[in-house]
Amino acid sequence: MKIYPYKRLGRPITLRVTSVSLKLSDGTRDPLDTSAYSTQEQAVALGVAGHSDWVSATIGLSATLPPGADAPDAAWSDLRVLAVLTDGETNVRTSTPLTRDAEGSRDWSGHLEVLRDDHLGRASLSAYAVGTVDGVRGRSITETDRSWIVDTVSDEPVRGLRLDVRKASFNKSSREWLRAYGDAPWLVDTTARVPTVFVNTDIDGIVGLLDSNGSGVESKARDLLVAQMATDVWTAVFHGAIGDLEVEPDGGPVFPTDWQGEVLREMLPDVVPGVHVEEALRRVHRRRTGEAGWGELQTRIHYAAVRRADAAKAVGFMIRSLERTNRESET
Amino acid sequence: MITQPHHVPERLALLSGSAADTFLTEGLLRGEEVHSGIDMAKVVEPLPEDDARWSTEPIRSLVDDAMFAFDTEHTGADAWLAPRIHATLRLTRREAADRRLWNHLALAVAPDYVVWRHLSEASRRVAPERFHGPTDRQCFSRLWWAAELFRNGPDYGPVEVACGNQDLIHTVLRKDLIDHRPTAQALVRLLKDGKVTTGRELNGLSVAINAAGATVVYDALAPDEPRDAADLRDWIEEAQTAPPVARHVLPQGPDEEPVPDESVSVLTDYFTELFETAPVRGRRTED
Repeated sequence: MKIYPYKRLGRPITLRVTSVSLKLSDGTRDPLDTSAYSTQEQAVALGVAGHSDWVSATIGLSATLPPGADAPDAAWSDLRVLAVLTDGETNVRTSTPLTRDAEGSRDWSGHLEVLRDDHLGRASLSAYAVGTVDGVRGRSITETDRSWIVDTVSDEPVRGLRLDVRKASFNKSSREWLRAYGDAPWLVDTTARVPTVFVNTDIDGIVGLLDSNGSGVESKARDLLVAQMATDVWTAVFHGAIGDLEVEPDGGPVFPTDWQGEVLREMLPDVVPGVHVEEALRRVHRRRTGEAGWGELQTRIHYAAVRRADAAKAVGFMIRSLERTNRESET
Repeated sequence: MITQPHHVPERLALLSGSAADTFLTEGLLRGEEVHSGIDMAKVVEPLPEDDARWSTEPIRSLVDDAMFAFDTEHTGADAWLAPRIHATLRLTRREAADRRLWNHLALAVAPDYVVWRHLSEASRRVAPERFHGPTDRQCFSRLWWAAELFRNGPDYGPVEVACGNQDLIHTVLRKDLIDHRPTAQALVRLLKDGKVTTGRELNGLSVAINAAGATVVYDALAPDEPRDAADLRDWIEEAQTAPPVARHVLPQGPDEEPVPDESVSVLTDYFTELFETAPVRGRRTED
């Protein structure tokens, strides 16, 4: 818990997205329907309408302050609320002031502009209530405890990490580097912007299996295959993220701000349980760069990957499905 | 020391990290041997043909000039090259965040420059991240981003100051705090006024700025102008007809609103106060 040298509000701001519209390159506006954002996931997906030529998005916001913000005996004056959009990949930080809906109301609202040229993938959106405390302007009184995610590409508002799955003939791909891996059914590339799985269409029948959506053994085999791929991806991505860590002058690792950071935040609690993620990262980094303990950690990394890939579920369903098939063939 | 590859592509392209890896040979990292360029041309993804920005000749000529002008003091090239790379390669931040572009520039177009600038005296080797590392470490993207984050609207003056201090671009460029334009300008002002100079001081100050940022929202204390997409788009559009970038005077950046001076002043004063009380390694508190 952080200690503040002045009085603050104990509870966070509730931030909601109330509307999303896109400005297209021909100057027209396309209001997106509610499928573009999810309050449950706290995510906005600007790719839902399939436009690739949008210039900017206008996101309508509503923030509700916790009780006490306007208490007559509050330690602050000049209360203001602002929404801040940040993107670690493109170093963008913009803010917009919100205005109070009605005198005495705890609800504040406003609009935030998201420029297409300013983002490659995901940005993060939060709100702050600020005031003047003991003569210091801009003191943070309270803020959102969980940011919204604004995904400029995705067509579905979800928080979790999205993988890119691409099908390619490894032997004939224009990506010539894939040719060296012609006999592999799939490959994971963690150097791309988001982790990418290349599925090798040269392996006979693999595409048919992956695209199958029946309910028989085939679909269970597909799920098992997908779980196996996902395990590979999570493991590779974790290693990639740990290998790319930047280090502070005091030797401590810096938490990445892009998807690698998301991956680490998600997996570290399973890799080093029971400690805060920042501490977990320091321990993992020490093990990798130090003299001992990296090998021992692999089991835990694998465990974290298997859990994320839902491998136990896929194996369970596969076994049940096989049992049923066997029973049916006996009778 | 290596020269440019025998075959330098005429157009910039995208080179994925996985594809780049095979070209990062020990010979290249030691600055002894460079690929011919022919095999690399097969593994890149092309960029649109009809965009003059992807011509490699203006960049190749810039790095040649830099190697000539800073022959005796290679690090000095950063402050000269950063604004000029930025004004030559007119990119949106979305484009600049794509590491594949920088991979291609470093490996296909100017590997000799990367070696010239980053060959370490101690290890006799170039760190691989200078070719295909994070954007704040890679040889060219770090300069582009330094120019983008430290320019004040069209004025590259602050970029020269920032890049003239290796400690600043080394320690501060990767920190989120400079994403807030008034904060970046205030840092440059402190540097210019000689209030902070050494790496330790800069580091101590940036730690203090971050710590204070947990209680003070700088966006509220020192507001910035909203970003305008049109100014930047116009500037990028002009790249189609722009002449080579000026060598002897500073070029002009996109015609965006400069940071409000009032905000920079407020933050400069605030940071000065923070710095006077910040713990800096090697500095005695009572003197």
